[in-house]
Amino acid sequence: MKNKKTKIKVELSRRDFLTVAATAAGSVVAAQALTTGPLSPFSNLKQSQLEGVESSAANAKHIPRWGMVIDLDRCIGCEYCLRACSATNDVDPQRTWNIVVPEKTSNGRSFFFSRPCLHCQEAPCVEVCPVKATYHREDGLVVMDYERCIGCRYCEVACPYDVRVFNWQDRPEGNPFIPTWGIAEVERRPRGVVEKCTFCIHRIDAGLKKGLTPGVDRDATPACVNICPVGARTFGNLNDPDSPVSQLLAQTATIRLREELGTEPNVYYIPPKEGL
Amino acid sequence: MATATLERKPSKLSPGFLAWLAFIGLCLLIGLVAAIQVFTRGLVITNMSDLVPWGLWITVDLSSIALGAGAFTLSAVVYLFGIKRFQPIVRLAVFVGFIGYTSALLTLVMDIGRPDRFWHPWVYWNVHSVLWEITWCITIYLTIMLVEFAPVVFESRFFNRWPWLRTIAHVAHSLAPALAILGLMISLLHQSSLGATYGIVKSRPIWFKPSMPIMFILSAVAVGPALTMSVAFIAEWITGKRTVPHDILRIISRFSGLGLLVYAYIKFWDLAAVTYYGRTPAVSQALTMLSDQTPYNFGFWFGEIIIGILIPVAVFLLPNYNKKPLNLVFGTVCAMIGVIVNRWNITVSGLFVPVSYSPGTMYHLPPGQYFPSLVEWAVVLGIIGYGLLMLTLGIRFLPLFSEAKQQGRG
Repeated sequence: MKNKKTKIKVELSRRDFLTVAATAAGSVVAAQALTTGPLSPFSNLKQSQLEGVESSAANAKHIPRWGMVIDLDRCIGCEYCLRACSATNDVDPQRTWNIVVPEKTSNGRSFFFSRPCLHCQEAPCVEVCPVKATYHREDGLVVMDYERCIGCRYCEVACPYDVRVFNWQDRPEGNPFIPTWGIAEVERRPRGVVEKCTFCIHRIDAGLKKGLTPGVDRDATPACVNICPVGARTFGNLNDPDSPVSQLLAQTATIRLREELGTEPNVYYIPPKEGL
Repeated sequence: MATATLERKPSKLSPGFLAWLAFIGLCLLIGLVAAIQVFTRGLVITNMSDLVPWGLWITVDLSSIALGAGAFTLSAVVYLFGIKRFQPIVRLAVFVGFIGYTSALLTLVMDIGRPDRFWHPWVYWNVHSVLWEITWCITIYLTIMLVEFAPVVFESRFFNRWPWLRTIAHVAHSLAPALAILGLMISLLHQSSLGATYGIVKSRPIWFKPSMPIMFILSAVAVGPALTMSVAFIAEWITGKRTVPHDILRIISRFSGLGLLVYAYIKFWDLAAVTYYGRTPAVSQALTMLSDQTPYNFGFWFGEIIIGILIPVAVFLLPNYNKKPLNLVFGTVCAMIGVIVNRWNITVSGLFVPVSYSPGTMYHLPPGQYFPSLVEWAVVLGIIGYGLLMLTLGIRFLPLFSEAKQQGRG
């Protein structure tokens, strides 16, 4: 009995051992890649939900999360936001990034509904883009690399909020909203790429460098927020409990659009007082 | 090409063949003119819009990839399951698959807004994107098909002057079983991911379901081999030479018939689940809208079910019908129409249903409207011309059907 056992051990020792070891090592690497590594379907989830919980308390003010609150009761449907945005970002006036439309509650009372990009934390457009031309910045903004976009329009198909606009042709003509509603602060996008609302990142980034607070200092705040004559839009850092936007969220009941899709938008709406 | 023609017997060009070449040339010319228009003036000359950003071209992409599925199916039958009887059709299957995949890539290059950046998915990775995965799979699979097919090309007399090419070709040939397994894996992945492209879009009610990838791959596996079979028959009629033993072709038709039955079975339960057991308000609304305003139901019942499934199943499986090659080719055409109508119905109808996101009751985006423009049809005509040209040249100049003989000679 004893002899036999030792013999088996010896036989196993070379080639088989190597095979087993290699298989085991390979499996570990594969498992690692598939569960916590870059191939994991949960890697998005982990970053934003698991680490986010720990780090949000510590880094509250260091890594901001930009968000917006839109008060549907205040909006008067003047479309100033749409025009200022079109001028500032040089957007086609026929197909603007912001929309403003008349709406009705279920009781038949009228109100106005406006919509920028909602900058979802679980953005379908980011998931589907084959080249990462659309991506999440560290501060939660969903932005585009117009140099990288191949114009496949999958993001346009996947966006639940109809936010995205494709450049079907060159746009040589001028923008009628310039200079009345502002001047172009960013370059016009070329033909063949998709474009979208950026929450005016050029203002946020430049403002932060100058030590300004986006949402408080006008130079660092999106054009649509600045122009609103009734203050229906509030912008700021959702990770900073003292920011105006966090204060408003803490005091008021808000909703988000199509919550059931799990897109976790960073834009909140204050519904009309009597309900939707 | 000219050299190859010269090396063969001097001109065997019948008037009929010349007319055929002229027809192909016309298709290609029309396609080329349209393509230049699209590249210079942009996608604005198509009828696609922000509401319906995908249209005829995506339908053609999906269909031609599905129709190219005979390549991996039949390769797997021979090299993986070891059924060597089917060896004589593998070359043709890979060739037809190659044409299908390259047609899809050509159409895709037309469809993207920045064709100059077609290579971006290879460099900038988004491993979470199905479309990225599909691009990679199609690229890899196209390479596999090229390697699988290289021996066939290098066997033609034209390459006699470079014997080392032949050596490479023989190495490639010995890799065939490994390539077939790899090809099978890659194909199973991307053929179904094409369905997932739609199935994962949660904001689109009639797309968002897990059955999408399964139905895509089943229809591809069923119809792809049938197309290969029909091409073999047609090649036989034109060249007057026996290409592939008829009993093999008839077995393939029976396989396709059974495949279509499985597809029909899944489709039936999908229909039951979507419209009955698992009905949601959004899906009901979408289907009502589609049946009121578009020929969605007609396309589904007549195009997909009757033409695409019932007729081919009857022709492929009933012993009264499946003896005549002409019937089998007719059945294949029906099945192909079924696949194309299915891909069209999914793509375009899914986009016709507008997304709804406003919290109120009044504002809804208008339903999408789309019918392909002349330019879009012209590009598709060009793509068809490309496919026919490749087939014609392949049947005329490549040893698609004579592996044994060629090896004996070489």
